[in-house]
Amino acid sequence: MSTHRSDIVERDPGSYRDPSGYVFRRDGVLYRSIDGSYIEEWQAFLDSGLHDRLVEHGWLIPFEPAPLDLAADRASIAVLRPEPVEFVSYPYEWTFGQLKDAALVTLDVHRAALDEGFILKDATAYNVQFRSGRPILIDSLSFERAREGAPWVAYRQFCEQFLAPLALMAYRDIRFGTWLREFLEGIPLDLASGLLPRRTMLRLGLLTHVHLHARAQRRYAARPTGAGQGEQSGPRISASRQAALIESLRSAVAKLDWEPAGTEWADYADRTSYGDVATRSKEELVARFVAEIGGRRVWDLGANTGRYSRIAASLGRSVVAFDIDPAAAERHYRALAAEGRGDILPLVIDLANPSPDLGWAHAERRSLAGRANADALLALALIHHLVIGRNVPMSFLSSYLAQLGPDLVIEFVPKTDPMVQLLLASRRDVFPDYSLAGFRAAFARRWEILEEAPVEGSARVLLRLSRRS
Amino acid sequence: MEHLLAYIDAGSGSLIIQALIASIVAIPILLRGQIARGVSGVRRLAGRNNAPPTDEAGHRG
Repeated sequence: MSTHRSDIVERDPGSYRDPSGYVFRRDGVLYRSIDGSYIEEWQAFLDSGLHDRLVEHGWLIPFEPAPLDLAADRASIAVLRPEPVEFVSYPYEWTFGQLKDAALVTLDVHRAALDEGFILKDATAYNVQFRSGRPILIDSLSFERAREGAPWVAYRQFCEQFLAPLALMAYRDIRFGTWLREFLEGIPLDLASGLLPRRTMLRLGLLTHVHLHARAQRRYAARPTGAGQGEQSGPRISASRQAALIESLRSAVAKLDWEPAGTEWADYADRTSYGDVATRSKEELVARFVAEIGGRRVWDLGANTGRYSRIAASLGRSVVAFDIDPAAAERHYRALAAEGRGDILPLVIDLANPSPDLGWAHAERRSLAGRANADALLALALIHHLVIGRNVPMSFLSSYLAQLGPDLVIEFVPKTDPMVQLLLASRRDVFPDYSLAGFRAAFARRWEILEEAPVEGSARVLLRLSRRS
Repeated sequence: MEHLLAYIDAGSGSLIIQALIASIVAIPILLRGQIARGVSGVRRLAGRNNAPPTDEAGHRG
């Protein structure tokens, strides 16, 4: 006899929109339940072979069937155990290239589905995650059989979640990527259309899918099409025109480009004050400290283009490399993609304003600290940017880092360092406690200092700390 | 049989403009396909005309 133990199930608070099923955890293991109402579509999807082909292609996350008695409710007719994703990231943390690659894989999956008589019934960027360096669709329940002549129901969602932000980032300002944090459903097309330069109207893809699309939304906002109820009276599109639409969207996305240069930290690695001796010494110390800490996951905070992330990765660690600068993170992403590496995930995060809990009941998209799963933190050449550049007290920094991980490798950069001098060049020095002694005092409450080592050829110090229990 | 399970709001304007856009963007794609087929046909024809003579069994001499 099967037993339903819904009382001990932790349902994913972000998985509630689609009635076809939802994600939940039982004993820390991730499962996806399938609702009885979706059974015919699910069976058709599996029988078509489309699922297997998408998985084979690396476009869709694989799953193992799980016993039905693990289901969280009686409406479920099947339970899947999807392969886990190491770290769940969100579109507002992605680089331009990551959002673009996620858009392209969404269209490729939809195109492959169309060829088999199916459609992607949603096109949210939150259905894509990065796994082994590549974007992959994580929602196995996003497919339904195509209805002859029916327009793509997720067209608007795709344009708002992918095309509009990418166009704004490419044509207006790369920092528009962070707007996805405000607009979780995607950037409204009327807003994007109003902000994009007029010259984008000369680009057929943007003219049609953003500008004209926005006008049509305004004009027909109150006109029912019957499409929502599956009526046959709405607008019709032949299969060849559907394919042309997808090709046009793909071309519009593929043509969007952004050159990652000219931002504050993009060339930081080239401008750094280290000499060869200091660089070598720091690399050796980082490698030794990371090896001594052990564990499997490393978060590199302020990773820039990933020099030290690579050292951690070379020791077999899975690394998430955060940087505030979209250009540095983009360069990092492109370099890793060119090398075909999947052990480092670059993301754009401002540590002075990290991703908060967002969405419904503040629980749909989790904060950075809420997703903390690192065994070790690297905070190299970071402290002066937060403490002096952003006025974050060292005790605050100590507390926040203690939320993110149990072990820490941190570099203290003294006031005599040229990079700190640069930060102090145009402001009053209101940081009397910013010293190695002040650092030790501020971190002592939360952390135990296990080792301090000077970076040869510089006045900097590398410290290894362990969080107090 | 009705099996539409889409749960998002497709938007009336989005559905209407989508049909129009699909018709517009299909034209160059259709033309490109026709031109590509025409070019490959001409090439095939030209290749056949320039091919070395063959014997009765079809072997090139």
